[in-house]
Amino acid sequence: MNLHDLFQAMYESRLGTALAESLYVYPLVEGIHLLSLAFSFGLIVLVDFRLLGIALPSLPVGEVLKQLRPWMIGGFTATFVTGILLMFALGPKLLATFIFPLKLLVILLAALNAIWFEWKFGRDQDYLTGRKDPVVSAKIAGAISLASWSTVVVLGRLIPYFDGSF
Amino acid sequence: MAVSDRMTTIDLFKAVQGSDIAIAFGNAPLVFGIAAQLFHISGIVLILTPTLLVALRIAGTGLVDYSAAQLERKSRVYVATGLLFVVFSGLFMLIPSATLYQPNPAFQLKLILLPVALAFHYGFLARIAKEEFSQKWLAKIIALFMALLWFAVGMAGRAIGFLAA
Repeated sequence: MNLHDLFQAMYESRLGTALAESLYVYPLVEGIHLLSLAFSFGLIVLVDFRLLGIALPSLPVGEVLKQLRPWMIGGFTATFVTGILLMFALGPKLLATFIFPLKLLVILLAALNAIWFEWKFGRDQDYLTGRKDPVVSAKIAGAISLASWSTVVVLGRLIPYFDGSF
Repeated sequence: MAVSDRMTTIDLFKAVQGSDIAIAFGNAPLVFGIAAQLFHISGIVLILTPTLLVALRIAGTGLVDYSAAQLERKSRVYVATGLLFVVFSGLFMLIPSATLYQPNPAFQLKLILLPVALAFHYGFLARIAKEEFSQKWLAKIIALFMALLWFAVGMAGRAIGFLAA
């Protein structure tokens, strides 16, 4: 089964049909997908700015992560769940142009970057508590995260413009 | 002035749509429309995220190393920037198709919710975020209501496209 077949199967499933034909649920799902960016994208930008030393400089990185992580995870959960529901509703037409596959690739890059950051600094108490000077590689991770999530948002907004069927 | 001579809302929207600036916006290359959408989304995030952080802090969670009053003060510049973004990008999208927007119930709801959200934001947020505000339960209710109001503005805005279709 290739990606197109998978999207076709999702589109033709009962969930896909119900979502695509729903008068209220589809707009609601799309609205939640957009507005949950306030928790997911908005808070990750704040964390990235902290890693770069731009925002909340007096608060150690570990504290920023500890205090915002539950809300970020909640936001990303809402964004991803609604995103998957939209994939069911829209099906293979999402693959008609390079925009959506590119968006998935950039999400993968952002996720790998987050995993690398956790692996490298997740248990580094000197860095997390601010006892150690800011690390260049953590700043680079922040910059990659900022650039990749911003690109994801831009690509998401471009999808309808590159496919007249929406 | 006789009633028949008064400009109705639809007349106003027709006049706006027929203006030179509306025609210029309407004829602008697609990239400007895309940029306007991106500025609109950025503006929404710039308003919602700081407002949520203040509301969460009033509720006793989120960035607890800062006071709600400190966060509220820090949030002002972001919210003001976000408002500038949404207003100007919103006008760019609205003006060339003003007569399509005017009868749209979601647009009408947004026009009601937006000033209410702004009134709550600028009327109450700074007050309820202060340490001296003694009725903490009331502050939490207002903060939650305000966050929901902003989300309702966003949802009404998103619904415009679906109801116009």
